[in-house]
Amino acid sequence: MQKYNQLKRIRVFTWILGLIIIFPFIAGAQQPIVNSTLHGQVIDQVSRKGIAGASVSIVGTTHSIQTDKDGRFNFVTGQKLPYTLTITYIGYETRQVTAKDETIEIELKESANQLNDVVVVAYGSQERRNVIGSVTKTSLEDVKSIPGGSFESQLQGKVAGVQITNNTGVPGETVNIRLRGANSINGNNNPLYVIDGVFISNSSLQTFDTGGKSTSPIADINPNDIESISVLKDAEATVLYGVRGANGVVIITTKRGKFGQKPKLDFNLSNGFAKAIKLWELATGPQHAELINENYINTGGTFATRPFRPVSEGGRGLPEEQQTYDRLSQVFRTAGLQNYDISVTGGNSGTKYYISAGYNKQESILAPISFDRASFKANFDQKLTNKITVGISNTLGRTYRNEGRAGDGPAGGLLQAALHTPTYLSPYNEQGVLVGRAGFDNVELLLKNYDINSTSLRYIGNLYGEAEILPGLRFRSSFGLDYTNYPESEYWNTFLISGSPNGLATSSIGQRTSLLNEQTLSYTFKVNTKHTFGILVGNTLQSDVNNTTSTRGTGFANNSYKLISSAAVTTGSQRWSRRNLAAFFTKLDYNFDGKYLLDFSLRSDGSSAFGKDKQWGYFPGVGAAWQLKEENFLRNVDFITDLKIRTSYGITGSQNGADDFSSLGLWSGGSSYQGSPGTAPQQIANPNLGWEQTTQFNTGFDLAVLKGRLSFTFDYYRKYTSDGIISSPLAATTGFNSYTKNEIEISNRGYELSINSTNIKGRDFTWSTSFNISGNKNKIEKLSAPVKFGSRDLIWNIQGSSLYSFYLYKELYVDPQTGNVVYDDYNKDGKITAADRQIYGSVWPKFFGGMGNNFAYKGIDLGVFFSFSYGNKVYNHNRFFGEAGGARDANRIIFASNVDRWQKPGDITNTPRPDGINNNNYKDDGSRWLEDGSFLRLRALTLGYTLPKSLTERIKLDRVRLSVIASNLFLITNYTGLDPESSASSSQNAQGIDLGTPPQPRSFQFGINVSL
Amino acid sequence: MKKAIYALSVFGVLSFTACQKYLDVEPRASISDKQTIYDKASAQTALTGVYAALANGGYYGTTFQSIGYLNGDNVQWTGSQSQVQEFINHNVSADNSTISGAWSAIYLAISRANHVIAKVPAVTDPLLSQAVKDQIVGQAYFIRGLAYFDLARTWGSVPLITKPTESATDNSGISRSPQNEVYALALSDLEKAEPLLTETTDRYKATRKTVWALKARYYLYRGDWANAESYATRLIADNTNYKLLKPFGSFFQNDARGTQESVFEIFYSASETNGHRGQWQPQQNGGTRQWAPNDALVALLNDPLIGGTRSALIAKDNQNRWYGNLYYRSPATDPSYVIRIAELYLIRAEARANQASAAATPADDKLGGAIADLNAVRDRSGLAGTPAVTKADVLLAIENERRVEFAFEPHRWFDLVRTGRASAVLNITDVRKYLMPIPNDQLLIDPALRPNNPGY
Repeated sequence: MQKYNQLKRIRVFTWILGLIIIFPFIAGAQQPIVNSTLHGQVIDQVSRKGIAGASVSIVGTTHSIQTDKDGRFNFVTGQKLPYTLTITYIGYETRQVTAKDETIEIELKESANQLNDVVVVAYGSQERRNVIGSVTKTSLEDVKSIPGGSFESQLQGKVAGVQITNNTGVPGETVNIRLRGANSINGNNNPLYVIDGVFISNSSLQTFDTGGKSTSPIADINPNDIESISVLKDAEATVLYGVRGANGVVIITTKRGKFGQKPKLDFNLSNGFAKAIKLWELATGPQHAELINENYINTGGTFATRPFRPVSEGGRGLPEEQQTYDRLSQVFRTAGLQNYDISVTGGNSGTKYYISAGYNKQESILAPISFDRASFKANFDQKLTNKITVGISNTLGRTYRNEGRAGDGPAGGLLQAALHTPTYLSPYNEQGVLVGRAGFDNVELLLKNYDINSTSLRYIGNLYGEAEILPGLRFRSSFGLDYTNYPESEYWNTFLISGSPNGLATSSIGQRTSLLNEQTLSYTFKVNTKHTFGILVGNTLQSDVNNTTSTRGTGFANNSYKLISSAAVTTGSQRWSRRNLAAFFTKLDYNFDGKYLLDFSLRSDGSSAFGKDKQWGYFPGVGAAWQLKEENFLRNVDFITDLKIRTSYGITGSQNGADDFSSLGLWSGGSSYQGSPGTAPQQIANPNLGWEQTTQFNTGFDLAVLKGRLSFTFDYYRKYTSDGIISSPLAATTGFNSYTKNEIEISNRGYELSINSTNIKGRDFTWSTSFNISGNKNKIEKLSAPVKFGSRDLIWNIQGSSLYSFYLYKELYVDPQTGNVVYDDYNKDGKITAADRQIYGSVWPKFFGGMGNNFAYKGIDLGVFFSFSYGNKVYNHNRFFGEAGGARDANRIIFASNVDRWQKPGDITNTPRPDGINNNNYKDDGSRWLEDGSFLRLRALTLGYTLPKSLTERIKLDRVRLSVIASNLFLITNYTGLDPESSASSSQNAQGIDLGTPPQPRSFQFGINVSL
Repeated sequence: MKKAIYALSVFGVLSFTACQKYLDVEPRASISDKQTIYDKASAQTALTGVYAALANGGYYGTTFQSIGYLNGDNVQWTGSQSQVQEFINHNVSADNSTISGAWSAIYLAISRANHVIAKVPAVTDPLLSQAVKDQIVGQAYFIRGLAYFDLARTWGSVPLITKPTESATDNSGISRSPQNEVYALALSDLEKAEPLLTETTDRYKATRKTVWALKARYYLYRGDWANAESYATRLIADNTNYKLLKPFGSFFQNDARGTQESVFEIFYSASETNGHRGQWQPQQNGGTRQWAPNDALVALLNDPLIGGTRSALIAKDNQNRWYGNLYYRSPATDPSYVIRIAELYLIRAEARANQASAAATPADDKLGGAIADLNAVRDRSGLAGTPAVTKADVLLAIENERRVEFAFEPHRWFDLVRTGRASAVLNITDVRKYLMPIPNDQLLIDPALRPNNPGY
């Protein structure tokens, strides 16, 4: 309680302080004297159309206004004409003009390059020309209709250095996102997300097992509300986020109104459907039976007693008498997709706002899973005086999911029931009753009785006040809240395995509350016009609390009773944890004449998760850039529009690997026996647990040529993580499995290249291309004992190799004479033992990226967007089961690919002779099922038509656009499964194991977009 | 402006000191390990924690027990995780996750027992009398003795850990002691437990009688027939508390628990469940039927001359498949059976038979006694007396009786190994496989454990 008060006191104090600083300026604000009125219009130099939202200010004053929807503005001011105006607008060259008369028309020229583009960076924004770090700004414009559910998923291929893998085709599920590789074994490697100044959590609150997938908290956010996304990659850009910066930072800016903008209403509607591109090919009943017989005989059985012999002889019938039952088509469906968004943007001289509502419903192609999000957004900004602005951002969403277990785990698994059940087995038993086979549920019963759902209720809000104390001196204070309430419930009735014999219900409510308070004070000033200095100081206080309460009931009178209150036996549990973070930071920057840019940042972070003496960490960073184009020797080289070289070095950290109480030595309760409470050691103390540190060096250049029509951005980086937090295994003799400590070292090095080109720019026709490619090499430099990942120990982390490497028995070939697999005897001891397992590829691609082409001809626009990945490996775990050569008998499916097996000497095949499970030929962890996961995917194809202005004006609309969006139209890959991105794991780090995972579907949507 | 800067710097200093307190966050579900066992209540809860470790899914909760019966010849594997098949094939690899799970679970129990043994005697609490202390420490010694006995019979040579772990560097890097010494520690713990515990009957917790029962088993394993017989007799003689229930199913069917059949069983409840049923029960009953009785066992149990009423151990599901039905309750509150009185009869039978000369006849005291003990167990299952008359036949009959009597309890493998019959019965050509491998991951973490057992 004392700590609460402490925190509260700090907050109250901060506000009072803010008011003290601001007060004189409020008091000093006087009634303005009107000396002149200026009517003007800002227009595009080429199209001569008004530019809405351009900002017009009088040089030497702070008076600034924005143009309306037609580009018009009225300046009522105490200044006397003539005076000089500065007009700025994103994407146009900033211009200064002198207003002499009462009316003025100002032409703006579209900037040849993106140098004037304003980029959101840590605690501020900068013009692109002044950015030193590696920062990529992107928008979702051409991908936000891809049915993924979350903007993360839609970003695939958009940003160099950001590798995004869509683990499942289920909308709104966690994706794997890696920014410049991965630094941690324990902690999640996801970047830090900042939305409207709030650090939001991206780890799922899901507690239920849905078979190797988990819901994405990022999917709570409606992509339509996002204005732009800044991806901060190098140390210069991320160092102000200190301990949370090492995995990169993604800053999401949501849409806001503009001062003086007439209300603009936007309405989007899209409807469509999605379907799997292909499904698994399975052996028929007779083929399956034949393989079982063959395996039986190969493993020493006699022909007379083979399982599939005539029923009269006591067998299951001859192979050719077997039926084939199709279960896959029962669970896969053509899924419906719907999306509706409505928003109003506007503002007057002192107020601006953006309000929106969105509804998105997506069925998964795997019945009965669906995703249903309703979201609201309200952003307001109010000028109290010319110098003080307050504002609030509110995101409110409700995401309802019909859940289902996809891949792993026998009970309730949709694809276990539909995919892994042998085709020859009837869904009915001898009494004609529907029964599950092979240990899995019956598909029909499963679909009829499935009842798992979750709701995520989320509020993300931020209230800020900002004051310009003196010209160039700004103070900002903000309070943020990220709150999620996450109820889940499941009910398994007696028709299902999990509910047998008397029904089972579970209900859980998770809550996560993150409170944030930040202050920044910044001052920018010029000396001699050539020297620009900037100073920023700030602090952060954040407190995250997670708690979950869950109950479970078994023993229901019958299937009509579904609530735990009617269960015979109920049990409950509760969890609670908190982490507090405090930080101070500063940044100093210097800009000499636009040529030399230099900055230094330092953040000091304290986290409650660490050992008493190690709570505070210090994260410095420096960056420098040289704008060569501004030098005399390049100033007159017309070919080059821009050339800047940049370099940075700094240290950022991560605390993800530590749990909230990892450093403490603890005993816990819960070890009860015979109903008596029991206590036991829970974890061993590590008072030295401290920060994981990543040192990053980055160097790169921005080059634009041909009047900016062709631009390149290239970066090379090296990252070295030391004191990496790991759950370090302890010998079992200690009574502990592991403890959390700083031990590992991991390096990442790589490159990123982005190319943007305006290929054709005519009056009616434009064609532009954007392309990016990145490569990252990851290596575990220091790790004392291997750490295994995922089920069946397929993925290992071993010193000297990449994170998440496959550790397997390398299969060389199938001996045509014997039909047996020949393994690589790695240690040359003449036998194949566990010591012969070796690293055999990893989940990391050698390179990956994306390419977009956009064409516009009059009102027609076409966008074609590809993403690609090369060199990553996927363990096709479905084949591991489906190609067991009949040895799994009636317990697993056989794939059609297994039918082409070795049968007699001389057969050349990759599929060996059936010889039983885990004997030579069908050994666990064999490399045969490890496949190349490289792919080229047509992510999105968008064809739009904007109705001519003449027509829309007649019906009093501003803009009407009709579109067709197709996603995943084709996929080129050698991978034999359905989707090389598939990964069945709810762990945020494990990757590359494809087990019963629904693929990303192909989808088509038809949309209409109306503005008025 | 100056004021503002001054105010800011004051703010900075204030908030920095406030932050130090702000960063002290204590958990709510756990307490610091500095103060753990300090009064009567905390001594008792710590002992309960040791029992919880014994009941843990990795130990008597399923995993360790499964090594005993999967390794035998009664069970087939029908699931997907092939570590199960490795036992059935008698080709267990050092990577086997059952092996590493059991190893860790046993040392967890030892570690918790070490805390009790080391700390409880030093507690000064007027409410904690010497008699209560003795009870607590005695039980911890018993559980540790059982744990070392299990380690010795499963892995042979293992490290001996007798002190609690107080820091991350404690209790690792200790090399393995030979099997003899592991057995010796087990016996020494039982010897220490014996005088501390009272001679009462408690089927869920250790008493002096539980110690005797385990000592009977211990001496049987060690071939000390006289002692085995003598300790078994102490329990069998206590026939008001321990008797063979008729029919066979009465000790487990109809939600029975803590019957007179039971000497020591692990207690489970709706909130502390026993994972066994999940592996045995078919899907229609909410299980996975990862393993099931094999055809040979089904035939034996259903044979009225061999299984008798022990056919109650198996049942058929809605797909006409046999499944093991010893663990069947929902919620999963089935006890795990550690020692039953039937075992003491069969221990005594074997101990007596072994004391008879090779030429002895049923008229011989020892061999006759052995036959009587064996028949007591057979009679309970509705079977006639054994036809075996020679020492060799009686021993074989006992072996076979144990196979069906303890079909789903962890005896078959250990029985065949201790009698040296595993190679003959299970066709194991490499006798080095009689000992399980030290888990590979443990060898990697702790080089002091290397090398692995021969043959791995």
